[in-house]
Amino acid sequence: MLNRSSTVAAAALACALTTIMLMAIGSVRAADGGKYPTNWKGQWTRVVHREVEVQGAFDQTKPWGLGQDAPLTPEYRKVLADSMADQATGGLGNYPTSRCLPSGMPRIMTFGTQEYVITPETTYILLSGSDHLRRIFTDGRDWPKNPQPTYGGYSIGRWIDADGDGRYGVLESETRYFKGPRAFDASGLPLAFDNQSVFKERFFIDKTNPDIIHDLTTVIDHALTRPWTSDRQYRRVSEQVVQWPETWCQEGNQNVLIGKENYLLRTDGLLMPAKKNQAPPDLRYFRQRQQ
Amino acid sequence: MDRNSAGAVAVALAAALTMTVGGAAAADDAKYPNWKGQWVPVHAPGAAAQSFDPTKPGGPGQQAPLTPEYQKILEDSMAVQANGGLGNDPTAQCYAAGMPRMMAYQAQEYVVTPEVTYILLGGDDNLRRIFTDGRDWPEKINPTYQGYSIGHWVDTNGSGTYDVLEAETRGPFKGPRAYDPTGLPLHFDNQSAFKERFFIDKADPNLLHDVITVFDHALARPWTVDKTFRRNADAQPDWPESYCHVTNDRIVLGNETYRLNEEGILTPTRKDEPPPDLRYFKPAPK
Repeated sequence: MLNRSSTVAAAALACALTTIMLMAIGSVRAADGGKYPTNWKGQWTRVVHREVEVQGAFDQTKPWGLGQDAPLTPEYRKVLADSMADQATGGLGNYPTSRCLPSGMPRIMTFGTQEYVITPETTYILLSGSDHLRRIFTDGRDWPKNPQPTYGGYSIGRWIDADGDGRYGVLESETRYFKGPRAFDASGLPLAFDNQSVFKERFFIDKTNPDIIHDLTTVIDHALTRPWTSDRQYRRVSEQVVQWPETWCQEGNQNVLIGKENYLLRTDGLLMPAKKNQAPPDLRYFRQRQQ
Repeated sequence: MDRNSAGAVAVALAAALTMTVGGAAAADDAKYPNWKGQWVPVHAPGAAAQSFDPTKPGGPGQQAPLTPEYQKILEDSMAVQANGGLGNDPTAQCYAAGMPRMMAYQAQEYVVTPEVTYILLGGDDNLRRIFTDGRDWPEKINPTYQGYSIGHWVDTNGSGTYDVLEAETRGPFKGPRAYDPTGLPLHFDNQSAFKERFFIDKADPNLLHDVITVFDHALARPWTVDKTFRRNADAQPDWPESYCHVTNDRIVLGNETYRLNEEGILTPTRKDEPPPDLRYFKPAPK
């Protein structure tokens, strides 16, 4: 049985241990819940630079197409010039997304809204454009031996505690293994048709504005004479999102590609030329030829 | 306090400390179930790959409790398809499948967070969000193909771990939508509602159930189906990327469906199909 002094001493010991216990619980929780950033929640959209005439380019601070000053090789500079010339006469140029094909990397990061869902094994970037989503694997895996090429690529990343505060603040990732063709923007600014691109990205929240996330992207691609880096930024629209948008390219898409020619579909379902004096589609396989 | 007493208090508190720390971590980690991995739809032998009821063949074989009006829509759809057309299958034109067909695609991933359960899908319909943050139905919901889903977690056996996710999905939906490629229709008023119960099979931890009940004006009564998904044994599986437009070779012009051959030239999909109306093109020079 404890006497009074013993009881007081026991109470003091209990208080001390309770304090230690609470601190320990807190640290366990911090280690579990606070190791990964918790302030990336919500809905993000790309930062709009009002001074830029045409939005949606890889380098958000510059107009698309030639205005991007991309370090293209002469061969791919011609691809861009041809694409813009074709578009000027009603064609689609080198812009597969106008046919509702996926944009893939890096244009995938341009559309609509984004959500970052962080788990220890994977960071998911959920996109609201026609491109699906990105998985950046952070479980320590190595590159797969026979990956299936995709438009979004295969991404491996790692978290970094850049300022030593015990929390991860930066996600570094590398993305490889692509399908194509892909373009940086709607002008048809090309990536190399060999689909051998590599992307290195560094995601982090702005130090002075917690509602800006940076995606510092470096593209290594055979269409470029040197790696091309752009600081892509996204602004948090809302932390509590009531409803996420759903985007379907097919809705409202008027482009109909037949062979190498793009035509337009009228609202009454009839085909019309997209270019002046455009030849109609080849109907050789129809028994009942148009009169 | 004597030495023994102090020791006993210290041991008791240390034990409590250890238990509580463990409990706190366990509560955080184990409150929600482990549904990690890649889940692939299970179909009974003979069942169609994208059928709603995975135990039965598609179309009429589904034995959906359709109203007579919508039974006829299904029959008409299949008749058109037998003649080369698309029928009542908007997904064949690369439109969204929406609910409930989006749950038939090839690979799923469940990302469970306290606020939202994300179902990541391997088709063009690429994800669902089931909100579990206790929110009420919003006053205004913009129509979507997948609907708006609110759910809640249930600890059915009192184990301290949630094991069932109950969800309700409401419209207004966008449409048209069909259950499967035969054109088995949902009502064109797009007023469907879905109640779902997701849980791991009691006898098989690698089998996930999604028991879906459909309420729809094309049905004479609610229609319930137990869709099941098997966990891929590969912990690092390929995640398929499926884009309808990459492989779609069908073109709909007016009421006619055509097909592009390998050379990119338009071909008919049925015998004696009329060519497209080209009245907006200048006649070729003679």
